[in-house]
Amino acid sequence: MTDIAVLDFKYDEHNRVQRWIRSGLIVVVSLLLFVLFWWLVAEWGYFETIPLPQDTFDALIALIQHGDPINHLTLWTEVSSSLKTFFKGTALALIVAIPLGLLLGYVKPLRELATPVIEVLRPIAPIAWAPIFIATRALGLTWGPALVVFMGMLFPILTSTIFGVQRIDPSWIDASKTLGASRWQIFYKIVLPASVPYVLNGLKTALGIGWMCIVAAEIYVTSLGGLGNFIYTMAQNFYWDYAFAGIIVVAVLGLLTTGVAEQLSKYVSKRMGME
Amino acid sequence: MTGETELNETPVEAAVADPGQREMPGGVVSESLEALDASREDIQISIRGLGKTYRTDDSETVAIEGFDLDVKKGELISIVGPSGCGKTTLLRMIAGLLEPTTGSIVIDGRVCEGPGPDRGMVFQDFALFPWRSVRRNIEFGLEIDGTPSADRAARSDELLSMVGLTDFADARVHELSGGMKQRVAIARALATNPDVLLMDEPFGALDAQTRNLMQENLVNILSQTDQTVIFITHSVDEAVYLSDRIVVLTKRPATIKSIFDIPWEWPRDRAAPEFTALRKEILEELREENVMN
Repeated sequence: MTDIAVLDFKYDEHNRVQRWIRSGLIVVVSLLLFVLFWWLVAEWGYFETIPLPQDTFDALIALIQHGDPINHLTLWTEVSSSLKTFFKGTALALIVAIPLGLLLGYVKPLRELATPVIEVLRPIAPIAWAPIFIATRALGLTWGPALVVFMGMLFPILTSTIFGVQRIDPSWIDASKTLGASRWQIFYKIVLPASVPYVLNGLKTALGIGWMCIVAAEIYVTSLGGLGNFIYTMAQNFYWDYAFAGIIVVAVLGLLTTGVAEQLSKYVSKRMGME
Repeated sequence: MTGETELNETPVEAAVADPGQREMPGGVVSESLEALDASREDIQISIRGLGKTYRTDDSETVAIEGFDLDVKKGELISIVGPSGCGKTTLLRMIAGLLEPTTGSIVIDGRVCEGPGPDRGMVFQDFALFPWRSVRRNIEFGLEIDGTPSADRAARSDELLSMVGLTDFADARVHELSGGMKQRVAIARALATNPDVLLMDEPFGALDAQTRNLMQENLVNILSQTDQTVIFITHSVDEAVYLSDRIVVLTKRPATIKSIFDIPWEWPRDRAAPEFTALRKEILEELREENVMN
């Protein structure tokens, strides 16, 4: 494979700019190859459900400028509806998972008691809860998809937080004890800050999962709209190019969310001297 | 049983005030504890019959057994012994981080139960808080005891200059060298002005040059304070350089093999004949322990 010029071009490993250019080129080439593959499949593959890349791109532009061909809702309407649901689920997951994770990490008997329950619930696909949450009207219809996101994000954050608390250097605890710290002081002066990088790491994983959940959950609740619902509606009406445009938007937003979380996590760990 | 009752049996003798000025010939072995009880007014830490047994499902390890020691106020006492003999176990029990299986530790007339700010501790791996700046590490104990922030800042300024880190007050721990980290740890332990400073192989993780420098630093720092220091080390050279007394432990189960008094003033000359002679003598004691059985 070394005769593929793009991958083999000479560069200085210790030159930051050259390194960036190289990794940028790799991304571009990788995506171009994918589009080429997509184009080949669409053109020659006899799948009517797969539109051509250029048609998808046109649909995306039309979606941004004029809205979809059925309800005439613009891309922004769908995106903001999805994001609203997404942030509701995220906020709920953070509010529940962080305190619970800290508590379970710090109090051993509670952790032992909770672990079997966590291990039973964790492998359940979050979308399996969708029909139940949506049928449970107590919280109102709009909370259904958000609750699915919540279920998807809860366990990554929870387990990562518990793990973080248990991974705390015992010598920090010893040191604070010899400096007279009470159990409660150890908790908020040592356990709380020391687990932050782990919480953020869990959040990073959770955001990726949450974003997968939302699209699936929105298909169940048509009245809320959102990207999942948009993709579903378009596909039902044979607007394959619009459906694909929606999928691309989902991909880009997912990439942005996890990218931001990743950078935040890195930055905080570095600032805290806990890389 | 408290050390108080047991100690009452020994008459109060004229106390030897400054451990650095005791009239004892250099390197004399005082193996009997009775001799130490003579100065009981000055005794800060009294350890009697101390023992620690570690139990697992199918084994029992006696780390320390029948350990008696009196530590005088303001003295720097080093504990050396064969590796794995339970030196750290001993120190952690004095710190209150580990519960003794038998015996008692009495500090200033109170039986030691759990850790407390009257005993500062310096750890081999520094145990600094990486998310806090140097200053905020030093101020930790003061935050815990509720010292107002203005007083905290004044105290940390004082300590920063004492350990020579004034320019690094706002630095993060990971930006410091090993020697600097340990000076922060010493300052942090001294911040609340504990009566006793417990040091667990504090310079063990440092290279030889930094180590010598840190020993000189420590002597300087301690000359400005009046802490009683218990210093665990596996370096006999370090022990002879720093200590008023050196306790040599036997191999496990650890108990006292011998005690050496060192009345010399600081700074000490490592090349002096009496220094090397004493070093050799203690090394010989340790070698005996390692060779036996």
